[in-house]
Amino acid sequence: MTFVQAVIDGLMIGGVYAVISIGLTLVFGVMGIINFAQAEFLMLGMFIAYFAWKFLGLDPLIGSLLSFALIFGLGILVQRTLIQRVLNAPPLAQIFVTVGLLIVIENLALIAFGSDFRSVSTAYQTTALRLGPLFISVPYLAAFLMSLLCGVALWLFTNGTWYGRAMRATAQDPMAAHLMGINADRMRQIAFGLGVGLTAFGGAVILPYFTVHPTVGQQFVVLMFTVVVLGGLGSVAGAVVGGLAVGVIQSVSTLFFPIQLQNLVLFIVFITMLALRPNGLLGGAR
Amino acid sequence: MRWWIAGVAAVALAAALPLFLDPLGYAIRVLTLALLFAALGQAWNIVGGLANQISLGHAAFFGLGAYTSTLLLIHFSVSPWLGMLAGAAIAAVAAYLLSFPTMRLRGHYFALATLAFSEVLRIIAISWSGVTGGPVGLSVPFAMEDSFALLQFRSTLPYYYIILGALVLISCVFLVIRHSALGYRLRAVKENVEAAEVIGVDTTRVKIVAAVISAALTAILGTLYAQFNYFFDPDAVFGIVPVSIRAAIVTILGGAGTVLGPIVGAFFIIPVEELANSYLSSQMAGLSQLAFGLVLIAVILVQPRGILVLIRDGVARFRRGDGA
Repeated sequence: MTFVQAVIDGLMIGGVYAVISIGLTLVFGVMGIINFAQAEFLMLGMFIAYFAWKFLGLDPLIGSLLSFALIFGLGILVQRTLIQRVLNAPPLAQIFVTVGLLIVIENLALIAFGSDFRSVSTAYQTTALRLGPLFISVPYLAAFLMSLLCGVALWLFTNGTWYGRAMRATAQDPMAAHLMGINADRMRQIAFGLGVGLTAFGGAVILPYFTVHPTVGQQFVVLMFTVVVLGGLGSVAGAVVGGLAVGVIQSVSTLFFPIQLQNLVLFIVFITMLALRPNGLLGGAR
Repeated sequence: MRWWIAGVAAVALAAALPLFLDPLGYAIRVLTLALLFAALGQAWNIVGGLANQISLGHAAFFGLGAYTSTLLLIHFSVSPWLGMLAGAAIAAVAAYLLSFPTMRLRGHYFALATLAFSEVLRIIAISWSGVTGGPVGLSVPFAMEDSFALLQFRSTLPYYYIILGALVLISCVFLVIRHSALGYRLRAVKENVEAAEVIGVDTTRVKIVAAVISAALTAILGTLYAQFNYFFDPDAVFGIVPVSIRAAIVTILGGAGTVLGPIVGAFFIIPVEELANSYLSSQMAGLSQLAFGLVLIAVILVQPRGILVLIRDGVARFRRGDGA
C-alpha cells in the first residue's frame, strides 16, 4: 500500500511539475532557446501569490491567476528587451543571456525580500481525504486540479484559437508563418510570456505546501530540465508525461533511498535520457 | 616574437607587483583570487573557447581536486602536491567517463548534461557525510609552521606566486593546444562539426582529449583553492554559480577563445565582487552578484566576443577618426 500511496502522491505533484515545465518546453519549441532563468519565474510567481495572500487575503489558488497575469506581462517585456536580440546569436550568447537573467532576478529578489523563508496558512493545509487505506492530501489535490484546469485551458488556446495556431505555425517554420501574414516576433513574445506565466502559475499553486524564499528556484532547475528532456524538448504533450513520470520517480525513490538522494535518482535519469534518447521518450529517432 | 616579449613582460610585472603590497594585506588576497579564477577560466577556455563545447559543470572537476587532495592529506598525510596529481588523474578519468553520454550532444544539450553531472557530485558530497564531511565540508589540517611540502603558508605571498605559476602554466597549455594540430581540429569542430568529419577529423577523439586536459587542470586549481582557503563545503567547490558559471563568465567577459580573455575578465570582475562583498552588508551582498549578472547581459548584448574586442573596435574607430 505504501507503494500505491507513493505513486498517488507522485502523480499529484507530477501534475504541477508538468505545468511548471510546459513553460520551458514551449519557449524551446518556438525559439530553440533553453531559458536557464525559467525557475526564477517560478520563485516570482510564488512571491506574488504570497503577497496577494498576505495583503489582499487571496487564497494562493486564486492568487495564481494574478501570478500568471503579472509574469505574462514581465515575460513579454523580457522577450522584447533581451531574448529577441540573441535569437540568431551562437549558443554561447543564448545560454549566457538567460544565465545572466537568472543571476539578476535571484539577487533582485534577495535584496527586495531578504533571505527569510515565508509560507502561507490556509484552512485546508493539513487536511487529507481518506480513500480506504489511502490518503489524498488536500493541498496536493487542489494544486493538481488547478494544474489540470490550466493544462486544459492551454490545450484549448493552442488548438482552438487563431493565436494558438499562429504560435504553433511559428514554431514549425517561422519563415513560412511570416509569409502567411503572421507576425513572428509577436508570436514569440506571446510564447515567452505564456511560458514564464505558466511556470509562475505552477509556483503559486504549490504555495500551500511549499515555503518561498529568493533561492527556491535552484531546487527546481534540474527538475524542470529532467521533465522536458524526458518528454522531448519542445513537446508539450511530452512535458505532461515527463512531469507525471518525474513526480512518481521522485516520490517512489523516497521509499528506497534516503530523502537527500531523491534528486540524485532524477539526475541520473536525466543524464541517461540525454545520452540515449535526447528527443525524449515520445520522440522518434534522432 | 613581439607577443612572447609582451607575455614575459606581463608575467614579470605580475611577479613584481606584490613587492609593493602588504604580504598579509587584503589587496594581495583579492589579486590571488583573481589569478585563481583567471586560471580556472583559462582551463574552461580549452573546451568552451576553442571547441565551443559550453560546459556548465566544471565545478565537478574543481570539487574532485579539492576533495581528493584534502582527504588524502587528512587520512594518509599525503602532501597536497601529490594529492593534486591524484585529483587531476581522478578528474581526467571522470571527464573521460562523462564523455560517453555527452560527446554526441551539442550546444544547449551539452550544457545541460554537464550541469547535471556536477549536481550529482554535489549531492553525493552532501549526502556521503562519513567520507566528505557532509554539508559542513572539510578543513585542511593546520600545520604549525610554514611548509612547502604541506602547501601551507601564513603569508598570502607564496600562494600568490604558486597560483600565478598555475595561471602561466595553464595559459601556456592553452597556447600550445591552440597552435597545434589539436587546436586546428578543435576550431574545425567549433565552426562546423559535419565539415570537420568530412575532411577526416575524428571529432569525438579531439573533443575527449580537450575535455580530459581541461578537467585535469581544473582539478589542480581545486586543490590550490582548498589549500589557500583552508576550508570548503560542497556548495563552494561543487556549486553551479560559484564555480561553473563563474569560470565561464570570466572567460566570456574578456573574450572566449583568446588567451587574454579569462585574464582580462577575471581582473575586471573578481576585484569588484570581492570589494562589494567586504564593504556591503550581508543583505546588500546581493548587489555585487546583481552587478555581475547585469555586466554579463550587457557584454553579451553589446559584443558577445568580449571586452577585448570591444576595446579593439573602440581603438580602431578612434584611429579612423569617425568615433570619439
